[in-house]
Amino acid sequence: MLKNLDIKTFMPAIVLLTLIIFFTALNPNFASMRNFARIAIAASPFLMVAIGVTFIIIMGSIDLSMEGSVSLTAVIFCFALVYFGGSVASTGWIAVPIALLCGALYGALNGFIHARLLIPSFMSSLAMGFVGIGATVLLTGGGIVRINDDIFRSLLTYRIQGFPLMVYLAGFFLCVGIFIQKKTVLGRHLYAIGGAEDLAKASGVPILQTRVLAFALAGFYYALGGMLQVAKLGQAESVTGANLMFLSITAAVVGGVALWGAIGGVINALIGVLIVAVINNGMVVIGLPDFIQDGVLGVLVIIAVILSTNRSSVRFVK
Amino acid sequence: MSNFIKEYIEREKISRRNFLFATAAGVSASALPGVWGAGPAHAGGHGGWALAWSYRDRASAYWNTIVSGGEAYVDSLGMAKSDMVNLINEGSSEKSLSDIKAFLAKNNGKGAIACDANDSPNARPVAETVRDAGGYLSTIWNKTNDLHPWDIGDNYVAHLSWSGEKPSADAARALFDAMGGKGGVVHIGGIPANIPAIERLNGLKNAMKDYPDVELLDVQSADWDTTKAAEVMSSLLTRYGDNIKGVHCANDNMAYGVIEALKAEGITDMPITAFDGNPEAVDLVIQGKLLATVFTNPHWGGGIALGLAHQAAIGAFVPSEEPNAHREFYGPSILVTPSDAAEFKKTYLDATPTYDWTDRWGLSAGQIQYT
Repeated sequence: MLKNLDIKTFMPAIVLLTLIIFFTALNPNFASMRNFARIAIAASPFLMVAIGVTFIIIMGSIDLSMEGSVSLTAVIFCFALVYFGGSVASTGWIAVPIALLCGALYGALNGFIHARLLIPSFMSSLAMGFVGIGATVLLTGGGIVRINDDIFRSLLTYRIQGFPLMVYLAGFFLCVGIFIQKKTVLGRHLYAIGGAEDLAKASGVPILQTRVLAFALAGFYYALGGMLQVAKLGQAESVTGANLMFLSITAAVVGGVALWGAIGGVINALIGVLIVAVINNGMVVIGLPDFIQDGVLGVLVIIAVILSTNRSSVRFVK
Repeated sequence: MSNFIKEYIEREKISRRNFLFATAAGVSASALPGVWGAGPAHAGGHGGWALAWSYRDRASAYWNTIVSGGEAYVDSLGMAKSDMVNLINEGSSEKSLSDIKAFLAKNNGKGAIACDANDSPNARPVAETVRDAGGYLSTIWNKTNDLHPWDIGDNYVAHLSWSGEKPSADAARALFDAMGGKGGVVHIGGIPANIPAIERLNGLKNAMKDYPDVELLDVQSADWDTTKAAEVMSSLLTRYGDNIKGVHCANDNMAYGVIEALKAEGITDMPITAFDGNPEAVDLVIQGKLLATVFTNPHWGGGIALGLAHQAAIGAFVPSEEPNAHREFYGPSILVTPSDAAEFKKTYLDATPTYDWTDRWGLSAGQIQYT
């Protein structure tokens, strides 16, 4: 992947730096440690989701189930935490593996429906996303589940070097994601399928198994995102995952993950998430009126994609 | 996709003040006295009338509470709650209208219906359909400003809506008092084009006229969303820092996000006000984490809307003999503050109050005004 070390490879990082310099020039407060911590808090759950969908995009597929998956696992986590005593310091910790397992199973089911029943991932994952939101509405009755566990919430409130614990946790799972991408058979198979599925199949890559595993991995990361959302907000409901579909796919693409597959990786997702989080934070910090923010975000996203995606090897876009 | 859902929920609360139509509004206050009012009078019970509530969906706490009011009314007639027919339009005006037509056809016109028409223009065809079939109708939230019950006749009994401006101003005054009458305030608003978002911001601005030392630092939209509100609030802290002395939120959900964004910074004593009076928000008021929220009593609104249609149908009162203030009126709003939050929760949330549905306008907050 890194064989053509031209400027395009570093463009996402350059875009990110340019944005930081731009916002700092307009309001020096932007470049304070406290503000970076605020951006990091906003970005942490969102990064988990973007890493999850990056695995699927590398494979040349798409996953639109994240809003349902994040909401569902966040609500399951809250219910399980309350059911098992209300604190992760005692038996409540069991809510963590329960939520992660539910996320992975949900993802695996999503992948199975897509790969076994030969339904395009766009359609199957969108449908599964709706199923997830529907299940969340059923579980909550349209209401909110709140948790009051100060130990779990210390992910937000306890800081090391100015950054809350959740940022370090997100950093750890970022490293896990990089490891899976670079050092495991699954990671290599994802690129093989994304590059040319026929060739991968002919070379003996187990397509069905890889696809299901990839979606399960994505689901695992969505569950992580869901739990970090709960850490951030202290509550879960059927709209906990709202907006994450657009934001996470945008972030992956802005960071340099190409929607046609096999280009980019987890690091690109990180930079993309930071670009989007910096834009969102910066627009408020420099005092942009709210009614033009959506428009500015859209324009900046297009510019960022033009600058940061390596399109030289692409012969057609679909 | 979920932003969509939020927007929808708020959007269907809108359009009372479609400014374009305001000046065109007919003001024939004298109305048409009972031309179509053909309902035979029955004593007590449902009097052979079928009852229905037509609304958007069952997935939102708001609509569930509205419907619970309708069911309470049906229950008060000695019928089973399941005797109230749920006509769920799923956000489609066409389905809203066709459901009502089917319901009236099935009951030979003897239907008493409460309805949110889904969007404002749909209220007129719904009202005319019900009139032509001989049924009785009350509407809530959505209708155009030029449509009035008294122009349609006795079959269009009443329209009920809620104003955001005054209660929002009341919340703002409580906020300013908690700030000591001075300092910077930020407003976290809904989707900018939504009427409730506009009204609630206007309420804040109106209240500011009485507090010259309060400065509105910034207005930022968070699309009614908890997550976005948390992010917007933390960005505002970067911009304004300690100058922010109070936060005025256009709904409860966004206030939850604001509270958490401040908690992340170790700020727990900032006065924050919200709107909607959800159970979680009331709990936060009791805990002292939220200064105030506004409750609009959707249970009563849902019950009285159906009750008015049905009572007019059985001849318990004649709509055209009532003043206009009884046919287009605002629902109640209650400011929930720390001093009364526990009492409020006991009365309205832990138990549902039993209402005398024949006290038809007891909780009305006055005739709807068009500006």
